[in-house]
Formats: sequence, structure tokens, C-alpha cells
Amino acid sequence: MAREKNTLVYVVALLLFLSGVGYLAYSAFTENSVYFLNVAEAKAVSPDKLTSARLFGSVAERGIEKHGMGVTFYLQDKDNAVQVIVVSYTGAVPDTFKPGAEVIVEGGMGAEGRFMARLLMTKCPSKYQKENRKT
Amino acid sequence: MYVFANAMQLLALFCALGCGALSLRALWLGNGGAATVTLLEKAHWLVTGALLLASSLLLNALYRHDFSLQYVVSYTDMILPVFYRLTAFWAGQPGSLLFWALVVGASGSLFACAPSYKTLQPATRLWYWMFFYAIMAFFTLLLSAWSNPFVEQSPVPPDGNGLNPLLQNPGMIFHPPLLFLGYGGFSVPACMALAQALAGGRGDEQPWFRLTRPFILFAWGFLTAGIVLGAWWAYMELGWGGYWAWDPVENASLVPWLISTACVHTLIVEERRNKLHRVNVCMMTLTTISAFFATYIVRSGIIESVHGFGESAVGVPLLVFIAVALLVACVTAAAAPRRGKPLAALESREGLLLLLAWILSALAVIILTATLWPVFSKFWTEAPQGMDAAFYNRVCLPLGAGLMVLMAACPWFSWDGGLRRKKTFLALSGGLVCMAGALWAFGYRQPTALLAAAAAVSTLLGVLLLLKESGFRRPAALGAHTGMALMALGIAFSGPYAQEQDMMLARGESGAVGQYTATLQEITGGRETGYEYLTSRLQISRNGENIGVVAPQRRMYDKFGAMQFSEVDTIPGLGDEIYASLLGLDSDMRVMLKVSVKPLVNWLWIGGTLLCLAPLISLFVSLRGPKRDRAPAYSAEHRDMGEARDKPASGGEGHVTRKTKRKRKK
Repeated sequence: MAREKNTLVYVVALLLFLSGVGYLAYSAFTENSVYFLNVAEAKAVSPDKLTSARLFGSVAERGIEKHGMGVTFYLQDKDNAVQVIVVSYTGAVPDTFKPGAEVIVEGGMGAEGRFMARLLMTKCPSKYQKENRKT
Repeated sequence: MYVFANAMQLLALFCALGCGALSLRALWLGNGGAATVTLLEKAHWLVTGALLLASSLLLNALYRHDFSLQYVVSYTDMILPVFYRLTAFWAGQPGSLLFWALVVGASGSLFACAPSYKTLQPATRLWYWMFFYAIMAFFTLLLSAWSNPFVEQSPVPPDGNGLNPLLQNPGMIFHPPLLFLGYGGFSVPACMALAQALAGGRGDEQPWFRLTRPFILFAWGFLTAGIVLGAWWAYMELGWGGYWAWDPVENASLVPWLISTACVHTLIVEERRNKLHRVNVCMMTLTTISAFFATYIVRSGIIESVHGFGESAVGVPLLVFIAVALLVACVTAAAAPRRGKPLAALESREGLLLLLAWILSALAVIILTATLWPVFSKFWTEAPQGMDAAFYNRVCLPLGAGLMVLMAACPWFSWDGGLRRKKTFLALSGGLVCMAGALWAFGYRQPTALLAAAAAVSTLLGVLLLLKESGFRRPAALGAHTGMALMALGIAFSGPYAQEQDMMLARGESGAVGQYTATLQEITGGRETGYEYLTSRLQISRNGENIGVVAPQRRMYDKFGAMQFSEVDTIPGLGDEIYASLLGLDSDMRVMLKVSVKPLVNWLWIGGTLLCLAPLISLFVSLRGPKRDRAPAYSAEHRDMGEARDKPASGGEGHVTRKTKRKRKK
């Protein structure tokens, strides 16, 4: 009898635990999920959907403008360099930011098709990928 | 010369394949003959020896600047110091896989020499070697077919590409091998868990978790050290002021740690109460599988990450291996005999340990799912979605705070239910509430951080009381819980209460960050071997009182063209730490700086160090201390002994079963 009672308590506790964790994860998911897109994919999506997105691409050779604590640059698709998005970023620019560097930007699409980034990360120039060291 | 190295890898491959097939044949025929077992017990020396020779040849090539090997060209150059040249052994994917294979091979050979191995039944030995050789065959197949460190090139270049300056840091040098020691170390316990579950594990055989205890403790310690060291490197070397960004590659290493930590806690229930056998077989196997899956995430290029590991050919073979291993784990756990007893009440120590394992497992599942969400969402949309850092903070930090509360409460519950030290528990609970109130009064009102910090202080007080109660009897638990509590304090304060300011300063100008003022004293430039540098010297003061100087640098390395690298400087402290990085210099000779105040951040590193050392201290103490008699886990005698051992050291309300009472009467 005691054994059955314990089993029931564990089952109820597990269901409560899973419900709580599920609710926590779901509520965080609805508010904190962002689009993860390459530049070409982002160009295919309606701009009003890109209020919160993470874009992957590389820094184009042309059009890098550094201004005080920030930079404006063209983000180009890794596979199709014709596809570009203008990115404006205000904040500390990472050490490894340079033309050709693979970068990740997070933010939202602003006016005139300009992506306003609140986060700019360059891919870690890891020793596991020698291409990153070509200068 | 490298023909010999390739031959060694092939020898290890064929030997592992042959021995795996031999053990499978013996198991199929039900013929656990002594000759077969003897052969299997000797062949591992050949596998490990061949891998050791191959590793020596790679180290020799790195030491001698042998640029005829692609691997040496890719990760070293003529001016790289010998220390970094040798550690480039695990710098690239092929070398790190060779290192991992060597760790697994050496662990297997070490276990075969241990006295505990000699107690195994022939059937268990056969199953164990079958799984061990299967893993070794997979590694050597990867090395021979898809990721070979001994690929030669012609013509031989005069110099190599060199090692990225960001990675020329002791933290980054030891971070990968520690992770691989952790990943590799769990292989022997996992093979033993599966072997004993399939062989029955009856008779005088000790249970797998006791036989492989040093491997579990070492692997967990190394894995923890690898993760902590990676976080410290990110904090000190990258200059962005943080230590954890919830990047897929970081998450990948955290998942095996979470599963292994859950397993360590469910193993305590099995060790003390002879319960959860099948759960533990599953958990230990999942730990090893998750290590392979972590490597799959890192190496396959399936998910975009800030870590530029790039895509490689090992992704598909790794995925196939993981799928097969998962199938084997599920079938084995389902087929294993049920030996345990029903669990005690939820409000018991075993109930709370199980709850703790649920939370750790839930964290692993959530982090893994969220990390892979961009891949999953591609199945139903062309615009895949993923999670930003806020998602992980919002879900994982409350669960982490819950873990801290459980950690504070668990030692004061008895194994069979209810409190074993009611007054102490109430006093510690009161202390937790008072601490939370005090923090609230001082303005630290972020709920998760407040709960985690208060629970951490309560845990630390509890550790002191446990030391008084039973001395240094359980060094692993006491050390690890102290370390974890200190880490929780560090995270609870240095995360939400850090103050950060980007500033542009000319010489003599000041900027404020929190209660501190940074004044630029001078900007100097110069040259050192291999790089030019720019240094800004900042005087830091608090309420008009000078507290020190920071001198962050920017470096331009000769080998890395226009790229600039930041060298952070800090004024360390056990309270606030001042952290400064130099971001650049404009045409008006004004420097761009990031200055941060990180409260209690060093407790994260102190706690992390203690957490890594706790398992090693425990092993040292158990080797030096008197050996406890250990009865076989599967005998009735052990079950009684387990119950009797639940009794607190200082007497009290420990549970005594009727069987034990009968024995005592006799």
C-alpha cells in the first residue's frame, strides 16, 4: 500500500515538475526565440517579420564605415556574395572584425532596409579552422 | 616515416575490430573460454601501444617543425614556442581525436591492470571488452578514414600558418585536453555498466560504479575543469567582459556535464540504497553518448556558432555511432533485470536526490533542444528560429536556483523520509530567509539571484555543520558542494549586478562606472617579439581614493596582418573586480575603453577550482584512509549493509530494517 502511495506521489511530482518546466520553457520560447537566417534567407523574408533576428554572413570588402563606438557595413551571404544587407551597429567592435570575417549580428530590421544590430560577434578565429587565419 | 604512423592507426583499427568480433562470437556461442578472454585482455596493449606510438610521432613532428605534415603546417610556425608547438597536438580535429582515442585506450588498459578488474566474471569481461573494442574501432576508423593527422603534403612549405594569438594562452591550451580527458574517462564506466547489465553481474562481483569509481571521479573532475577553464579564458582573453554566452559549442560541453552530474547523484542512491540500477546504466551510457554528441555539434557544422570550427567529414559517422549507441543503451536498460526496491517517500534524501537528477536532466534536455532548435525548425519552415541568450537565462537560471535550494536542504533529510536534524534544518532555513531579506534590504532584488545567493550561503553554513558533525568523511560531497555554492555566489552577483561602461577618453579625462572613476594617465606604444602594442594606463579610484592602476593593451601580431587583439587587465578582488579592455584609438588620440565592475566574480573561479579538485581529494583520501569492507551489491547482505550505513555517524534516527534488527539480535 505504502509502495503504491509512493509511486503515485512520484508520478504526480514528475507531472507537476514537467508541467512547470514546460510552462517556463514555452513562455521563454514565445518571447525569446529569434529567426536564425543567412543573408539570402533574410532577404526572402518579409522585413516586418525581422523585428528580432540573428543573421549569419561575412563582412563585405566595400562600405565599412567606423564611427566612434560602432560600425556600418555590408553583410553578405556566405554562398552568394550578391545578396547583401546593410548593418548598423553601435557598441564595441570585436577585435577580429575585418573584411571577409564571418560575423553574427542580432537585432531587428529598421528603416530603409537597414539592419540595426544590438549585438555583433565575429566567429572565434579558432585553431580548428585554418581558413580564418588567411589575411 | 608517416607510413609507420598510418600503419599504427590501421593496426589499432584491425586489432579493435578483430577483438570486438571475437568477443561477440564468444558471447553468441555462449563460450566464454579462458583462452578468448586472455587474448582480449592482452590485445588492448597492442591497441593502446599503437596509438601511443602514433601520438609520439605526431609530437615529434610538431617539435621538429616537420612541415611535410599538413597538420603541423596548419597549427604551428617557426616562431611558436616549444610549449605551444607540443600542445598543438590537440589543436586541430585530427589531433584531438587521436588524443581522445589515446585517453580511452589508456583508461581501458589501466582498468585491465586494476585489482577490481580481476574480480569480474568471464561473461562480464567478454561484454566489457566487446563494448570497449567497439569504441576503439570507431575512433581508429575515424582517424584512418576521415580525420587523419598524418596526411603529408608536397612541396614542403618553409613555414607554417602559426597559432592564433587568442589561443596562445594557458587557459585555452589546457581547456581542450581536459574536456577530452573528461569525455574519454567516462568510456570505461559506461562499458562496464552495459557489460554488467547484460551479463547479470551476480556472484561476488562488485557493482560497476564501485569498480570504476576512480574513472568516474577523474572524468567528472576533468570535464568540470575543462568547462571552468574555458569560461575563464573567455573572460580574461576575449575582452567582452563575460564568461558564458550560451553559444552552441559552449552548450555542447555543458550537456555531458549535466548528465554526468545527475548520474553521480543517482549513483549515490544505488550505492547507499541498492536502487535505480537500470536508471544508472542509462545515465552513464547517456553521459558517454552525450560526449560524442557534443563533438558532433562542434564538428559537423550543423549549427552556426561563434566558434569557427568549420564543417568536417566526421559528422555523419559520429551521428551513426550515436544512433547505434542509443539503441544499445535503450535495449540494455530494458533487458537488465529489476533488482531494486521501491523508492522511499519524496520527502526523503533519496527523493530529493532524484528530484535533483530530474532538474539536471531537464536542464540538459532544454539546453540540447534549444541549441538544436534552428535545425528542428527547418523541418516545417524556411525561416528557421533559434533561442537567444535571454531564453537560456530565463529558463536555466531559475532551475539552477532550485538546484541550490535542494543542495542546501538535502543533507538534513534522512534516507527513509523526514528530517534527521529538525532543529538544524529549521535554523538553516531561517538563515536562508534572513540572508534573502538582508540582500533585499541592500538592494539586491533580482529574484533568481537572490534565491540562489541565499541558498548558497545556507549550503556553506550546512557544510560547516556537517564538518562538525562527521568530520572530513565525505570530502567529494563537501568539497564539491562548497565549490558549487561559491560558484553560485559568483554567478548570482557578477551576472545581474555587473556594471559596465564603454568610454572614450583623452589623456587626463575621466569616466565613471558605478562608484568607481577611471582616469586616463597615459597612452604608450611599443614593440615586443612578434607584435606591436598600444597600452592605455588608467588610474582607478573610488570616492576619491586611489585603488590601483589597470593597463589594458591592444596588440598587432606580425603574423596576423591588420587584426588587433585585446589584452585585458584587472584589479582583482574578492569583492569588486575592476576589468578593463582597450577597444581602439581614434585620430584625436582618444582611446575607446570598456571598463566594468564585476562583483564577486573571483568566487566563481575559486569555487570552480574547488569543484574540480574535490573528486581528486576524495580519491586521495580514500587511497590513504582505511579500506572499508564492501559486500557485493547484489547480495541480500549488501542491502542490509546499505540500510545500516544510512544511520547518521553521531547516532540518531537512522533507519534500521527488520532484517538488520534480526542480525543484531543474533
